[in-house]
Amino acid sequence: MRGLGFLIKFSYRNLWRAPKRTFIMLLSLCLGTGFIIWDLNFATSGSKEVMKEFLTQYAGRYHITNPGYYDPDNRKEFDNYKTMSDEDIEKKEIFEKSTRRVTAPVFVSGEKKTLGVLLTGLEVEREMKLSTLARAVTVGKFLNPVGDKEIILGKRLAERINVQIGDEVAVIGQALDGSVANDLMKVVGMLDFGGGDLEESLAFTQISTAQELMALDSSRYHQRVNFDMEHDDLPVLKNVAVTNWTEILPEIGVSVKFIDNFTWVVSFIIVLVLSLGLSNTLMITFFEREKEFQSLNIIGAKASWVTMSLMIEVFLLGTVAIFFGAIIGHLFTTYCYYYPVNIQVFTGGKPIIMGGMIIQPLVRLYPVLDYYWQVPLLIYFFLSTTMIYPLIRVVRRSKNAI
Amino acid sequence: MQFELINVEKIYQASEENKVYGAKDINLKIAEGEFMALVGPSGSGKTTVLNLIAGLILPTGGQLKHGGGDITSLSLEERTKHRLDYMGFIFQDYQLLPILTAAENIEFPLQLKGFDKKEIKDRVDWALKQVGLEKMGNRFPKQLSGGQQQRVSIARAIAGKPQLILADEPTANLDSKTAQEIIELFLKLNKDFKLTFIFSTHDQRLIDQVRTVLYIKDGQITETRTHNV
Repeated sequence: MRGLGFLIKFSYRNLWRAPKRTFIMLLSLCLGTGFIIWDLNFATSGSKEVMKEFLTQYAGRYHITNPGYYDPDNRKEFDNYKTMSDEDIEKKEIFEKSTRRVTAPVFVSGEKKTLGVLLTGLEVEREMKLSTLARAVTVGKFLNPVGDKEIILGKRLAERINVQIGDEVAVIGQALDGSVANDLMKVVGMLDFGGGDLEESLAFTQISTAQELMALDSSRYHQRVNFDMEHDDLPVLKNVAVTNWTEILPEIGVSVKFIDNFTWVVSFIIVLVLSLGLSNTLMITFFEREKEFQSLNIIGAKASWVTMSLMIEVFLLGTVAIFFGAIIGHLFTTYCYYYPVNIQVFTGGKPIIMGGMIIQPLVRLYPVLDYYWQVPLLIYFFLSTTMIYPLIRVVRRSKNAI
Repeated sequence: MQFELINVEKIYQASEENKVYGAKDINLKIAEGEFMALVGPSGSGKTTVLNLIAGLILPTGGQLKHGGGDITSLSLEERTKHRLDYMGFIFQDYQLLPILTAAENIEFPLQLKGFDKKEIKDRVDWALKQVGLEKMGNRFPKQLSGGQQQRVSIARAIAGKPQLILADEPTANLDSKTAQEIIELFLKLNKDFKLTFIFSTHDQRLIDQVRTVLYIKDGQITETRTHNV
């Protein structure tokens, strides 16, 4: 397009008429862009890190089960003795990142009190490698990988049924064949989940003990829990059901989604406020040049040319600001990759208790590539809208006579 | 192609009773090479007549023609293009773009016309030469005196070799020596290149040197005088 180079030169020079004003506009847009990119990276990385710590503690990212295991009806009736074995899983590589579990509702009885809990049989060695559950044991010790008939109770549960480390508790449940399952287990450790409800409703034992208690064959188990946090895709497996953590813990999934979406809302508001300020400055800038626009029109510049030059001016400003803003945002994100943010900065030094568990994550920021085009698009969109009113006024008022 | 105003009138109407004539019964033929001044006190209507000729405002009556075509029937954008194609403008306060050098200011309307690079360069060099600023093309307006700025403004007006140049009080902001130099420049351009000038002016020196003087009062041409220059 002939004359485009001149138009761009004209617009660029206009930017530097009031250098201080342009610099302030540039700086505010630049810092705004940088902050939004950092903020979104922080929110995403923070959510991931918090969820990683939370899920690694116990829940895991995916549960691989018999297809009927999580049927709502089965859960309701505590009839979840749907088992599976390694033979049911086609892709064996999943074993690298997962651990077997046997879970059943049971009664745990101390000397004076009996309470209903969810007993989980664990592959102790693999759990110690893949989960951080062992770290939550603050009294006593974690289960012995080669031992049996050991049990770990939540601290509040132990207090309520009044048992100490070394005491024996009676565990009573229903076996797979419908018979009464019962056994004596020795309390070896107590879990501290920050005093949440889970402390009163969870108990753990070796998988072999749980299988024996529930009359399960040693090759049968209820679920494999996958801890791989780096891959978000659901593993495709035949014959078995794969359940994402968001389905297992829907309330936490919704909270995380809310935080992520809310960060976008905050970003929108930041850009909106920035845009309003910018619109005002643009209006002042444009109106100061109103007489000049009139002269341009007189000597033959159509309103569309004047409008185009102003749009190029604003987009040049925006592009430079967004470019440097993205660099600033990326540099801060990279800094926070090497120097992770302790999330307790935002909680007044207190740990976060989530889903009944304590989590104390250090948030290592990872750049999310999508934000590097989504944020500029968002800013370009708002820049375009902020120009509308000033441009309409300019076009209307640039048609005056000599 | 000749510009022609036939029974042109421009009424500024604040209310039914309150009518003000900016121009009334204006009949004017502007021949090629004309060197004409519109003279009258402030508010007499001379700038209104300039605006009407330029198509910047539309008459409320009469016809405004150029080469037989009716300017009033053109759209706003078409009238802007018409000005670009056929007219040059010189302002009292020069109206140079401060962000462009003298040469770039002259280049501006040529860019709008869509000339190629070489044509633009030739025309800019030619215009700068005509106004005696060959060596000042790279200077910004603030680096030039008032007289030099007006010369750049004149160069911008003539670079496109327009059929008509409209100048609104072109010497009003200049000291008498510089004003005289500018008037001589107008005369030279008119003589050498047959450029057509219409001035709106109070400057007696300019009035004395134009070929045709139109005296305007209350929007009407009250007297026409011709000089041999």
